Amino acid sequence: MTTTAAPFANPDATWNIPDRIRDAHVRSWERLAAPGEWWTGAERVSIAAEGRRASALLDGLPAPGPGPVELPEAAVFTIHKLIGDLPNVSREWYDETTQAEGMSDAHYIELMGVLTHIWSIDEFHRALAIKLEPLPDPLPGEPMRRRPEGLADHGSWPPTVLPRDLAESEADIYGGAKNTPNVRAAMSLHPDSVRWLNDMLDAYYRGGAEPGPDHEPFRVLSTAQRELVAARVSALNECFY
Amino acid sequence: MLRESSQQTGALDNLNLQGTVNPEADTGVPHGNLLTAFAEAAVQQTDALPGLGEQIVAELGVQELVDAAGVVANFQRMVRIADGCGIPLDEFTKDATDDCREELGLHEYASAANTA
Repeated sequence: MTTTAAPFANPDATWNIPDRIRDAHVRSWERLAAPGEWWTGAERVSIAAEGRRASALLDGLPAPGPGPVELPEAAVFTIHKLIGDLPNVSREWYDETTQAEGMSDAHYIELMGVLTHIWSIDEFHRALAIKLEPLPDPLPGEPMRRRPEGLADHGSWPPTVLPRDLAESEADIYGGAKNTPNVRAAMSLHPDSVRWLNDMLDAYYRGGAEPGPDHEPFRVLSTAQRELVAARVSALNECFY
Repeated sequence: MLRESSQQTGALDNLNLQGTVNPEADTGVPHGNLLTAFAEAAVQQTDALPGLGEQIVAELGVQELVDAAGVVANFQRMVRIADGCGIPLDEFTKDATDDCREELGLHEYASAANTA
């Protein structure tokens, strides 16, 4: 596992990837390699590697090698469940998983942030028939293990933070909005995952709080075309939300 | 996850929501059936994917293909965050989409039990 000299140069790509998207991919690789709040950099890279193994299994392809360190058994199971068995995720399963050895609600959310962002970037490349970027070498350092202030039960399985309850150090995560959709707050137990989400939402889908029809002209599909694709993907995943 | 702001701006007025669950239905959107076929091939990683990508380039353009791939990738992530956290429906979404959820049969999804 080695880092390429020019990450996301995509030399084999048939299609030109805009710089704003490539830059977001590069930032994602930097985030992935660094230690988080609950997982080391090596563990985070291993989460991404296991996500690639889960994806290969689903597609009937040879599995790539594991990551640099072994993950708790419950973490490995969580990765395969979120990638390949999403319709059967349940509250009971979440409770069991977050109480398993080596896991907690905070471990679960950070794992989800790492897994879903890297897997999403891989999905972008697969959709365009571009070779996947090698995973980065992890950076040294220990997790800080901090829980944000203002966490409470707002109806999601993990506790979340509402905009009005954000501490100053996390005041940026909702972009200053007074209200935020539940899906954006879902990972607020791990604020850096929300920052990562904001970055990738901007790269792939939308930026800003209130885009109108003339917003962001570089998004060349119409709003209706984009929402149609979004809704089809949600339906294929049997996502009620 | 149909966007509330889009509904308010009327940008989705011509969209036939049946096209999101039924590939045979007319989506009401220019090139909509091609785009949903691409989304389906990308999610399910079928052999049709490269050809559909080339068709989007031919009919719409390269950046439209990249845009579509970005939306697919984005929602492959978002559905996992939503269903992996059991998030409740937002009040404004619930009010605005109750009827169409019924019409599209979304209440039959297993994840409906997790999204109060």
